[in-house]
Amino acid sequence: MGEYYGIDVADIFNSMASRFRPEGAEGVDAAIGYDVGENGRWMLSVRQNQMSVDRCDDLSGCDVVVRVDGQTFVGLNVGKIDAMAALGAAKLKVEGDFNLFAATGKMFTKYVPAGQEVAPEQELLMVKRTISVKQRFATGPIMGTFLQGLKEKKILAIQCPQCGRLQSPPREICAPCRVRNDQWVEIGPAGEMRMLEYCYYASPDPLTGETRETPYGAIGILLDGCRNDEVFWHLLRPDQLDEVQMGIVMGEKVVHGSRLRPVWSDNRTGSINDIKYFEIDK
Amino acid sequence: MQKDDFSKSYVVEGKLALPYTYFAGRVGSTFLTTLRDQKKIMGVQCNQCEKIFVPPRQTCERCLSDIRDNWVPIENSGEVVNFTVVREQDKHLPRKTPYILGLIKLDGADTPMVHIIDGIDPEKITEGVRVRAVYTNESDPSILYIDHFEPISS
Repeated sequence: MGEYYGIDVADIFNSMASRFRPEGAEGVDAAIGYDVGENGRWMLSVRQNQMSVDRCDDLSGCDVVVRVDGQTFVGLNVGKIDAMAALGAAKLKVEGDFNLFAATGKMFTKYVPAGQEVAPEQELLMVKRTISVKQRFATGPIMGTFLQGLKEKKILAIQCPQCGRLQSPPREICAPCRVRNDQWVEIGPAGEMRMLEYCYYASPDPLTGETRETPYGAIGILLDGCRNDEVFWHLLRPDQLDEVQMGIVMGEKVVHGSRLRPVWSDNRTGSINDIKYFEIDK
Repeated sequence: MQKDDFSKSYVVEGKLALPYTYFAGRVGSTFLTTLRDQKKIMGVQCNQCEKIFVPPRQTCERCLSDIRDNWVPIENSGEVVNFTVVREQDKHLPRKTPYILGLIKLDGADTPMVHIIDGIDPEKITEGVRVRAVYTNESDPSILYIDHFEPISS
């Protein structure tokens, strides 16, 4: 009689009665044979939410016979060996009703060697909440004009009276010149891809707390009518993330990026989301 | 630029939903389940500094010893060492304003804990008032297993 992992094969059978879960044996009426090689043979009878297990050399009347070596049998019971792996390696053979064998997993609580019983796990407390905060965004006259433009499918930029620089979305002031911007210019709506940020983490929308799906492309587009770094930031059509070509200017050398066009939302409310995204202008 | 022209200005109303998960941790969970199941306040003591912390903490703030298992029972009563009166109503608050938020040093503890003091007029609360814990089961897992502290009439 062998011990494996410090555990006697017979001890697993002898403790079955105390580990039996009648609720797990609901409706089972069967005899299950265990042939544990040189360690011996046992027959487990389950009937009307009752069980009995005895040594029994003749397993011919069983509905299913499990043939397994002692090492594997103990390993399975203490969780050292995976049943599927044992079946795959032919260390565990099931002859007869396989489902019945599988059901034995539910009939017993896990075998715990004497002296190794663990104290029940501590109750850990966790609270899940969603708090709601009211937000208000006042556009002011400059941002208001820009957003109203989007409603009419127009992308507006504001121009500095001194340096001629275009800003979109617009600011009231041209920061380098420190003068008030005063001229509205319609730009785009199509343009050229200049920069792509491949975003794997989406920050929540400060007005709703919703986050967009990732990965997404945040892109800088040089809209028609704009020069140099007067790029307009928006989103790229998600399925074109790996398709777009980025443009670049290095001194004299200009590499043109993909041509992009805006895709407008049907229901425009005067928001930056009135443009759903930009897509490749094919 | 006619900077006083607000004809194109408007306001966007938003509502920001902030989901979060608060995990009490092992020490915090023991503290809270003891409040809930036994209606008892427990603290932890640092064996080196002898300081008793309520609410309990895993590490001593002075000597950084691991103190998570040094549980000691604390009394249900104590003394108001400081307080403030909350007057501005906000929907996330646990009570209708005005109510008293007190710093209560429980008998047996060396640190004060914050809780609501009820059953006394906010205009009449003073430092040194003796109070005791009033428990409830009507709470999500939180320090509100103690509903509030009430004055002990002498």
